[in-house]
Amino acid sequence: MHRGKGLKFVGDSRVLHPSSRKKKGPKDYSEYPGKTEAFWPDFLLKEWLIGSVFLVGYLILTVSHPAPLERQADPTDTAYTALPDWYFLFLYQLLKYEFASGPYNIIGAIIIPGIAFMALLLVPFLDTSKERRPFKRPLPTGFMLLAIASMIFLTWESVVNVDWDAKRAAGEIREEVAVEFDENSEGYQLYSTSSCIGCHGNAFEGGLGPTLVGTGLSAEEIYDIAVNGVGTMPAGTYQGTDEELQKLSEFISTLEPAE
Amino acid sequence: MSNNKVTRRQFLSYTLTGVGGFMAAGMLMPMVRFAIDPVLQKKDGADFVLTDLPVADITEEPTRVDFNFEQIDAWYSSEVTSTAWVYRDGDTIVALSPICKHLGCTVGWATDSAHPNRFFCACHAGLYEKNGKNVPGTPPRGPLDMYEVRESADGLLELGPVVPNTLV
Amino acid sequence: MLNKIYDWVDERLDITPIWRDIADHEVPEHVNPAHHFSAFVYCFGGLTFFVTVIQILSGMFLTMYYVPDIENAWNSVYYLQNEVAFGEIVRGMHHWGASLVIVMMFLHTLRVFFTGSYKKPRELNWMVGVGIFGIMLGLGFTGYLLPWDMKALFATKVGIEIAASVPFIGGAIKTLLAGDEVILGAQTLTRFFAIHVFFLPAALFGLLAAHFILIRRQGISGPL
Repeated sequence: MHRGKGLKFVGDSRVLHPSSRKKKGPKDYSEYPGKTEAFWPDFLLKEWLIGSVFLVGYLILTVSHPAPLERQADPTDTAYTALPDWYFLFLYQLLKYEFASGPYNIIGAIIIPGIAFMALLLVPFLDTSKERRPFKRPLPTGFMLLAIASMIFLTWESVVNVDWDAKRAAGEIREEVAVEFDENSEGYQLYSTSSCIGCHGNAFEGGLGPTLVGTGLSAEEIYDIAVNGVGTMPAGTYQGTDEELQKLSEFISTLEPAE
Repeated sequence: MSNNKVTRRQFLSYTLTGVGGFMAAGMLMPMVRFAIDPVLQKKDGADFVLTDLPVADITEEPTRVDFNFEQIDAWYSSEVTSTAWVYRDGDTIVALSPICKHLGCTVGWATDSAHPNRFFCACHAGLYEKNGKNVPGTPPRGPLDMYEVRESADGLLELGPVVPNTLV
Repeated sequence: MLNKIYDWVDERLDITPIWRDIADHEVPEHVNPAHHFSAFVYCFGGLTFFVTVIQILSGMFLTMYYVPDIENAWNSVYYLQNEVAFGEIVRGMHHWGASLVIVMMFLHTLRVFFTGSYKKPRELNWMVGVGIFGIMLGLGFTGYLLPWDMKALFATKVGIEIAASVPFIGGAIKTLLAGDEVILGAQTLTRFFAIHVFFLPAALFGLLAAHFILIRRQGISGPL
């Protein structure tokens, strides 16, 4: 193979004469059976064709699924349950088990991931045989398959019980619904001492449940929801008397967003 | 081999360049459009801002008028104070921008005692006549810009967007 | 004209062998998907690099609008996604690329593992690759916080608590990461931004260069 233009650097001792430079780099693959081809342009063209197909799929994914953005971080919102990015879910799940949490937290947080990472890093020194076929070195193959299976299992376990709708609702960007109300009114007194405030917020702004401002519902409809529940809201959550609930329903039905 | 035949290697090179160009375009087109968006974004005409100066009180002597408005800068909105030099020229009201056309300092009316009837920029001793025309021989490269003006329903001065000087 | 400029430089720096070595090296049949379809598994490394390039480019462009500040971070992300032309796509590319790069890298790692390609003489390159894997996970973890939305904040809280459970030095690690002993806030965001945009990419570039130089020097492993 011709290498370079073979220009000479006469009289300059800092630069090696090209002919004295040994051929570096890997051996040609002529010793392998079959056809070889040049990297440029033959092989790269095939790689880039695959890359183009990949890019088209990537762009379709990007256009069809916009990146999610939840509402601005609010450290005081205690109702929100965190989930890490999907590739950390297995670690997150591991820390839920009894043998890897509480007093044994160090096992789940440090020891198991540490051993796994060090084993991965040092694989070339743990598996030193010359054999390369996966079926002829059962231990490394077996351990790797076990690791993959447990990661898939843990990831599955971590999300199987997640209520995605509730999670989406908890993270949704909310319009600021300002509402003017009298904190000393009988309606608000009833509201603030009832369990409603836990899910619908101190100022009716919503939380686990939707906002109560501008619902467009009549007092009777609100009364009915409080008694029978709606959606994920269970029936019979209001603990007070029917009379109080009647007053509270009327109060809530009057809440309108302030200009 | 004749020159006008495309060799296999040349053909592959051209195809490779084309595929590479497609990938580069697919990657970079959205990003470049994203980056140059401020240049292409249509600015809807700025609103007129109400000042607290009654039009009837404006004299032929340029007076400094400070006015506040809400400036929306992408995701950041703030209360901004701006200044205009306002005087009466016959029936028309003239409101000049105080931004020096040399390097963007702020000019003042008659702030240099040697030039009592000139706008003066202290940074590099730039001078402008009363109508905003830059005095030749001083650093500025053009006349002062002016605000569009109009009178509000209750007789107060309203200032609009900055436009090039039309008096000179 | 271009040829003359090239010759002028080449005469002084002898650059021809550098690119000749890359352009002319022979690629064996067993990694070529045009010869054996199953050889597509050898593409995962290249695709990982491709997504990495997209991540670097889209990240550079995103910082034109993004501010790492707890009051404005979310607003700037909301603005660039909803008000700027193609903002949704550029942020989407960075968002989905972050997942794709992990997927492709995982597949690449499995390919190298199951073909036994980490064996002598390629031990060092395997370790460099595992280092790249770690850096990519770090980039994912630090980048997740930057939009400063609910899931970012709470996921990072969990992550930092895991780091804090390290015996003896856990508290120090937590303070070092979060910038404060208790609060996860302004200083956390600037730290994560700096780590995500400067420190980890710098380390990534170094390791990627080492990865590629080693591949060129050792060649790809032979057929099974």
